[in-house]
Amino acid sequence: MATVIGGNGGNGPEGRPPARTRTLPPPQVPSGARGVAGTGPELVTPPLVVRRREEEETVVTFPALIFREFLAGLGIFALLMLISIFVNAPLLQRANTAITPNPAKAPWYFLGLQELLQRFPPIMAGVAFPTFVITGMILTPYLDKNPSRRPQDRKVAVTLFTLYAVLAVAFVVVGVFFRAEAFTWDWLKVLGHPGVNPEV
Amino acid sequence: MSATETPTNPLVRMMGQVWGSIFRHGLPTSDKVAARTALTNFFLHIHPVRVKKSAIRVSYTLCLGGLSFFLFIVLTISGLFLMFYYIPSVDQAYQNIKDLQFVATFGLVIRNLHRWAAHAMVITVWLHMARVFYQGAYKPPREFNWTIGTLLLLTTLLLSFSGYLLPWDQLAVWAITVGTNMAKYAPIAGPYTRYIMLGGRNVGQGALIRFYVLHVIALPLIGFLLMVVHFWRVRKDGFTGGL
Repeated sequence: MATVIGGNGGNGPEGRPPARTRTLPPPQVPSGARGVAGTGPELVTPPLVVRRREEEETVVTFPALIFREFLAGLGIFALLMLISIFVNAPLLQRANTAITPNPAKAPWYFLGLQELLQRFPPIMAGVAFPTFVITGMILTPYLDKNPSRRPQDRKVAVTLFTLYAVLAVAFVVVGVFFRAEAFTWDWLKVLGHPGVNPEV
Repeated sequence: MSATETPTNPLVRMMGQVWGSIFRHGLPTSDKVAARTALTNFFLHIHPVRVKKSAIRVSYTLCLGGLSFFLFIVLTISGLFLMFYYIPSVDQAYQNIKDLQFVATFGLVIRNLHRWAAHAMVITVWLHMARVFYQGAYKPPREFNWTIGTLLLLTTLLLSFSGYLLPWDQLAVWAITVGTNMAKYAPIAGPYTRYIMLGGRNVGQGALIRFYVLHVIALPLIGFLLMVVHFWRVRKDGFTGGL
């Protein structure tokens, strides 16, 4: 464990720490223990420098990184343009507060909240859960004291986040595809089941 | 411009001077020239001159942070075009959107682009958060930048949510009604929060102008400020690099 903390799994705050380990004065070890003076740091620090050689390799940002960013931007822009040419943004009838659509749904990214409201009392679903998730997210780096970045050392963190992620995605999928009239479950909705009120 | 041959034509020479004054260094044929270009260019200065090869592997970053920023730019520009045609009034908003779809040149494509890019940005920002979490990239010294990132995710959601109301169709008004109804469950402050958000008890003109101002001025400014700090800290702390 001590080596993991000391070396930060070889993945600590990059840039400076490895340089610092190299410039450390030779450790206070009885001279008999070391064969050659000056190789001291290497003898003591192997656990600190566990990163592979190619990870230390650097390249010039321009053009190496800029080119990739350009390609990524171009790619997503082309994709969005294609979608925009062939798929129109939804526009229903003019707003009418006298006609409530059924089901009335929040935007898809808030459907998880709506799903929770369906299953729990409002004070839990509308207030307690969201507050817990947002506070938990903000405090994550301060609560997670584990210095390692390797997935195999962070089973609890990875499991908890995966649980949150799966639930969040599942609720959105359920809300968009399987919730029909009055927000009740309808397996056929995903197949385009018209329901009672097809305009929504 | 190569320094070896000096053109005799004064016009060409002046053009060369103009070009050279804007782009001080030539093509990045060597690392030295590339480094100088990156150092002296305002826009490229967002990045360090050299980066670890492992930190910019596409399989590591998946480009998600960069794509989120790029989508923010796309949304800002397409949103500017939409603003030329859109009046935040309950009497005119819906007709403005119809005009955008059927009258204004390229209005339909620009509106579609704005809509789909907004959905895409919610997805890329969320995935960026997941990527950073799974790679433990929020660990010291980057704790506070994760917090800023969380606020940026919330800003993105609010930006999308506030924009949802603007077309003033049935989808918009009822999604905002359902969304803001959630706010009223908070103890004590709940009903007041909803009243302040909507500028009234129902989704009406008061809500439309509030959401419009939030959508086109307040939230983009907040987002921009948070992004500046977010990027600056990434720049100062360096890229985390491969596992």
